[in-house]
Amino acid sequence: MSQTHILRLDSVVKRFGGLTAVNGVSLAIAEGEFFTIVGPSGSGKTTLLRMLAGMDTPSSGDILLRGERINDMPANQRPTCMVFQSLALFPHRTVGQNIEFALKIRGVDAATRKARALELMAQLRLPADYYGKSVTKCSGGERQRVALARSLAYDPAILFFDEPLSAIDYKLRKTLEKELKDIHRETGKTFVYITHSLEEAMVMSDRIGVMCAGEMVQVGTPDEIYTAPRTRFVSEFMGDVNVVPVRLGPDGRLHSDDPPSVFKAPTLPEGFARGHLVVRPESMRFVERAEQADNHVAGRLYNEYALGSRIQYQVRVGERVFIVERLRQQAFAGRLDDAVLIGWDAANSLVVGD
Amino acid sequence: MSKLYSSRRGFMAQSAVWAAAFAGVGASGIRSARADRSGELNILCWEGYNSAQVLDPFRSSTGATVKAESLTNDPTMINRLRAGEINVWDLINVNNPWARRVMWPEGLIRAIDRATFEPYFNSMLPAFKPPYKWAMDDAGEVMLGMCQRFGPYSFVVNTDKVSREAAEDQGWNLWNDPANEGKYGVLESDDWNVFNICCIAGFDPFKVHSDDEVAAFGETAKHVFKGAKVVGDIATMNQALVSGEIDFHMTGGTYSASPARADGATNIRGVTPKSGPMEGGKGGISWIEVTSVVNNPDVSPRAEEFLKYVQDAEVAHTVAFAEGTFNPVAQMGNPACFGLFTAEELDAIQWDSLEEEMARSVEYDIVPDYDKLLDLMTAAKREA
Amino acid sequence: MAAGSRAPGPRFALPVLGLLLVGFAAPLLAVIGYSFMPERTFGLWQEPTLDNYASVFSGTSYISFLWSLALASATVTVLALVCYPIAYGLARVFGRWSPLITLLFTIPLFVSENVRLYGWVLFFIKGGVLLGTLKSVFGIEIESWLFTRGIILLGMVYVYLPFMLFPMTLGVAMVPHETSEAAADLGASRWQVFREVELPLSMPGIVIGFLLTFVLAVGAIVEAKVLGGQQIIPITHDIEIAFTYAQNWPLGAALAVLLMVVVGVLVIGVLRRFDLDAVLGRR
Repeated sequence: MSQTHILRLDSVVKRFGGLTAVNGVSLAIAEGEFFTIVGPSGSGKTTLLRMLAGMDTPSSGDILLRGERINDMPANQRPTCMVFQSLALFPHRTVGQNIEFALKIRGVDAATRKARALELMAQLRLPADYYGKSVTKCSGGERQRVALARSLAYDPAILFFDEPLSAIDYKLRKTLEKELKDIHRETGKTFVYITHSLEEAMVMSDRIGVMCAGEMVQVGTPDEIYTAPRTRFVSEFMGDVNVVPVRLGPDGRLHSDDPPSVFKAPTLPEGFARGHLVVRPESMRFVERAEQADNHVAGRLYNEYALGSRIQYQVRVGERVFIVERLRQQAFAGRLDDAVLIGWDAANSLVVGD
Repeated sequence: MSKLYSSRRGFMAQSAVWAAAFAGVGASGIRSARADRSGELNILCWEGYNSAQVLDPFRSSTGATVKAESLTNDPTMINRLRAGEINVWDLINVNNPWARRVMWPEGLIRAIDRATFEPYFNSMLPAFKPPYKWAMDDAGEVMLGMCQRFGPYSFVVNTDKVSREAAEDQGWNLWNDPANEGKYGVLESDDWNVFNICCIAGFDPFKVHSDDEVAAFGETAKHVFKGAKVVGDIATMNQALVSGEIDFHMTGGTYSASPARADGATNIRGVTPKSGPMEGGKGGISWIEVTSVVNNPDVSPRAEEFLKYVQDAEVAHTVAFAEGTFNPVAQMGNPACFGLFTAEELDAIQWDSLEEEMARSVEYDIVPDYDKLLDLMTAAKREA
Repeated sequence: MAAGSRAPGPRFALPVLGLLLVGFAAPLLAVIGYSFMPERTFGLWQEPTLDNYASVFSGTSYISFLWSLALASATVTVLALVCYPIAYGLARVFGRWSPLITLLFTIPLFVSENVRLYGWVLFFIKGGVLLGTLKSVFGIEIESWLFTRGIILLGMVYVYLPFMLFPMTLGVAMVPHETSEAAADLGASRWQVFREVELPLSMPGIVIGFLLTFVLAVGAIVEAKVLGGQQIIPITHDIEIAFTYAQNWPLGAALAVLLMVVVGVLVIGVLRRFDLDAVLGRR
């Protein structure tokens, strides 16, 4: 992967009236990278993407494409292309006409256009006889490919994706996620992808940026995001996690008020007096004696859920619920309402500042 | 189907029944042959008789359901009777010639009792002295209807633009003067326009016309409509006159000018030419309404009652100033009725010149070759 | 399920079918029937004749036909140019003001057409709102436009505006915003977005607006009468004259039948060439 940055964002802000949708995002995306922006709805990720694609202009800050400031450059002049959530195919046109649109706009002759369209269709595994077919008669997966082919036709520098898979059923989505990653590899283009599904991001991305309330709270590889979330939000966004508020005691150790305890754990980040202890459910285990783990709490087995290959247990400790996950083969033998002891090791936990 | 309507008459009868049913006129839809119709009265009339001011007192005193439909031309009304609505209507109110010349010979109307109704004519204006021609059949024996509204009807000028004197002198030649092109309007009243175009062309409308005259009619119609600034209804004509869009318009008289005059625009005035191509060198045309009882096989007994009701001094005054247009009534010969008219009302209906204008006018009559002339005029309008 | 006539569907449809037959088909058939009757007669069961059609074709009625068609075409053209920007604004630009603006365009429909047209007469008449104001305030005296051909077109454009505007607004609103954005993103200029995407996708609304206003405008009569002072006699006025003053129902019926045929052929022709379903991608 080349380390030249194709796209740089410098303190980009977007305000709509009194609302700040994007608040000072700075970011650098490398040439050829598959970069995914993840965040819940309302986190500002779509607004950010629209600014990158040229459909909105930043209120302040700069967007640089290969070093050139493109803040006010309209979408139709940017060498970038977007695949929309709705795909936004042209329903009155055939598959071929859709794919050729960008070429036709630029006055490319019909024969060249057709050759390029057929080439892309072959690359995206669309049968050649679909060329004259109405897009409205294509299946969901086929439409995805048409939309992608249409965006690739004029050879854009960056492809943007606005949650194109969100409306697709699970099985097809899984297939398309992989296909998309393959196409990324084959074309070598820079993909900037947004989604609210971290799972989707994990599968495809080289790097992930997590957005929350208009800010980019953490940027990193999927592995970094997973193992070292920098905030409680990021850690919780990864899925079910155990989060316990903690504070730095006068003894230099981490104290918890609920449940009242002192935990062995990595220390709080520099400058924080309070924070959250984060333990992934799969790092939790049932223990018989306190010594079997660095930390332990006593509770009552409240419920259990089968999650396919794993089983999730809810353990109530006072008013707080802890989640423990075991592989199916290592199912816990306890019955509901049994008093249980759960424990975890300091190395499998992390602490984020408040 | 063809068996059901085995003859034209059969069809007519059927369609009248349907018309009645659809119009909702017969309260009970299709009625039995000899129903008691004292509770209803249906009047086909020019506007005015259908107004609530006129009908409401009659409704409340008799308790009858009175329905009146107003139309603004005679041929349509006559043809509706011909087309079978004779079973629907009890009274028909049209201009003078139709009762005597058409409806009575065709059996569309029935006679009224001469002994009962002739005395009313004695108290009318002198011109209606009995036996009054238009109320009687050709032989002067049978009484065919009652009279009320009348008036001269030639043309209307804005006296600020064309003096009454000049208009009366020039008469129909106003429309032959190329300088007047674009200065006049034509009231949309096609039957009367046929009469007027005959007058402009220089011959009497109420006779059979020679080929030369028919040709002259076509040419005159073309130039009249080509030069017309506007063709429209009474409101349009009055507005155009008052605003100065036009200086005068043809087909008009007290009937059309009175609403403007009553509104204070007394410079709008119906004018009767001093001379013209008609019998006795007359230049004007006048109309007298005759209200007849329809030859309905099941006529309402309220029909004759209504004819008497409108002879009453107060009702006659109401009819004269019913909504729409304002007109002199024959009953003004009765001092009790005349006394009800205010000075403004008399001015609105040009009472000052009414007698001389009527004297200078021939009475509206049937044009024998009306259809031919109307077709020529319609084509001329289209081409203008 | 019982088959055929015993099924409840057709039985329950009978009253509606009957109403359609009596209310729609019967008058139409009567008009067609009358058009073959001898001229100036009132019965429907006489020996049929083609005289009425012969006299229409030998006469000058074509002038009225041409005026009606020309005025309707001009009305549709002007309305298309006037309404598209407004429709675009209502669907895309005016946002929360759209309902209010829509209401403003709708309110006149609650007032009788005649009243509105007489309002225009008072506006344009000599010494009226327009010319009177120009004269008294600015001292400018110009010729009145009332009773001219141009003002007939103005009246028709005014009267039929909602009938073009609302289908068009629906048509424009039917174009997904993202589709326009996608086209721009693919490099299309504003004009190309309009021509390649927005116009074809809003076509169903536009065509419905065209047909609706054209059919209504061909049947227009009051505009020429009230505003135009009958400077033009549209075919509808000819039909009216035939049915009233001329008392020539068969001739009027023949004119009406010809008008229906002309309009019908035009409408079917447009619908044939322009398949709404195909445009919407439903086929």
